[in-house]
Amino acid sequence: MKIFGKRLFQPRSIWIRRMVQIFFFALIALIAVNHNLEESGRGIPLLSNASLHALCPFGGVVTFYQYATVGTFVQKIHESAFVLMIISFVLAILFGPVFCGWVCPLGTVQEWVAMWGRKLFKRRYNHFVPPRIDNVLRYARYIVLAWVLYVTAVSGKLIFATYDPYFALFNFWSGEVAWQALAILGLTLGLSLFVERPWCKYACPYGAVLGVSNLLRVFQIRRAESTCKADGACSILCPMNIPVDSVKTVRDHQCISCLECTSEAVCPVAKTIVFSAGGAK
Amino acid sequence: MTLTSKPLAGIILVVLFGGILFSSAMGWWQTKSSKEAAAFTEGEFAGQPDPADIRGSYTFGDVERNFGVPASTLAQAFGVTSEENPAAFQLKNLESIYADQEFEIGTASVRLFVALYTGLPYDLVEDVYLPKRAIEMLKSQATLTDEQIAYLDSHAIAIGSPASNSNADQATPESVSSPEGIPDTQTEEHSEGDSTERVIKGKTTFKDLLDWGVSQETIESIIGGPMPNLLTNVKTHCDANGLYFGDIKVTIQAEIDKVAP
Repeated sequence: MKIFGKRLFQPRSIWIRRMVQIFFFALIALIAVNHNLEESGRGIPLLSNASLHALCPFGGVVTFYQYATVGTFVQKIHESAFVLMIISFVLAILFGPVFCGWVCPLGTVQEWVAMWGRKLFKRRYNHFVPPRIDNVLRYARYIVLAWVLYVTAVSGKLIFATYDPYFALFNFWSGEVAWQALAILGLTLGLSLFVERPWCKYACPYGAVLGVSNLLRVFQIRRAESTCKADGACSILCPMNIPVDSVKTVRDHQCISCLECTSEAVCPVAKTIVFSAGGAK
Repeated sequence: MTLTSKPLAGIILVVLFGGILFSSAMGWWQTKSSKEAAAFTEGEFAGQPDPADIRGSYTFGDVERNFGVPASTLAQAFGVTSEENPAAFQLKNLESIYADQEFEIGTASVRLFVALYTGLPYDLVEDVYLPKRAIEMLKSQATLTDEQIAYLDSHAIAIGSPASNSNADQATPESVSSPEGIPDTQTEEHSEGDSTERVIKGKTTFKDLLDWGVSQETIESIIGGPMPNLLTNVKTHCDANGLYFGDIKVTIQAEIDKVAP
């Protein structure tokens, strides 16, 4: 896609994913602003003024224990978070963590910073962390998930909001954001210059939940060995560093279904890496 | 079956927004609290609202609706009398108003105040502090045990109290919450002991009236009884004794104007 004669996206990129990401980023940003405007009596008509907590599907996960045992929501969490959690689970069962790869604004911002990282470091970008360390760190997000669920269940409060970079991203001006969340957001964006989606890879508790869907999703990323040239492009350019060229079906718990590895994007051979269900090859 | 990016994008948008529309139609899409405090489920207070469920997103009006404590009383107790509509004041804003205090005054303070005001049980899990004026109101309007009074006295914070020399007086909540850059004499608060602006406001005490030259006899004839502690706000006294502050204010202001130098 070209705008004013300049190519907006990288060649052979899933441009429509970028458009969807921009749409959701703008939508959430506007809603966050509207929420603050509404509190001062100057809301934007026809636009939701919900709080970010009401629009984060992870809220449904953290409040699940309290809802199951007491029948109430954790403070600041509402029914809408439950609805979004169910919708994103449905999408994940069908297509994997598309919420992470297509919708989540924090993932989008990390990808935008990654563009600068790629310009700075070229092919070295996203390959700084030694695989041995990286493989271990990838499971840290499950520890974060366990901690968040525990402290929320024990306290009945949204403790994670104090550390949540997503909340900080859209509320940094409001005075409601804890310094810890701002620091984590800053660290995330800083690291994004070296590593693609560092928060998603190493710390995101909701990514940890959705990542499990990669083991049982209906539509999967499949590689046809018969036509594969084994040039490694898919693995090198995978934002999550998944070795796509060494598997027939991607079941890695970190896949975000961005489709950047498929024959529609970086794979140079038609119908070799596809997003398919059932017995498709 | 193979899927490419464009149909996938369409499916994501349709499932997401379709799911939201469907849940809205079913009445499941709620992005705000119903502002209905949870009720006690057992014991002698079963069925009554639980002060522990008061949240920062509640307004004074929500508290009034749930617990019957007038929004004007809450505004008076927590020193937000400059608000045009105290019922719309959100509890979470107390923390920013009192950000300079050594001890936090916030939603937990309102929970404690409401519990003591209404006589509903409330378990303190941490030290909770109240403004002195809130404690004065509780002492005059609620039935407190000696133990509760002792707790309140040891957890009182002097804010906007004319007798206090604490740092809290340097930034009264009224001055913080007044709109900046908007000259409005109706909402402007006089500084303590300021004799140049003699206008009776929500925080004016009986001592202020005496200092301005209004005699004790005149004041007592207007309020229909003996003056309470001199540091009591006139409005607090009116609220506590069923007097309409709006009428009393006009009468006292006339007396103030009579004796003005």
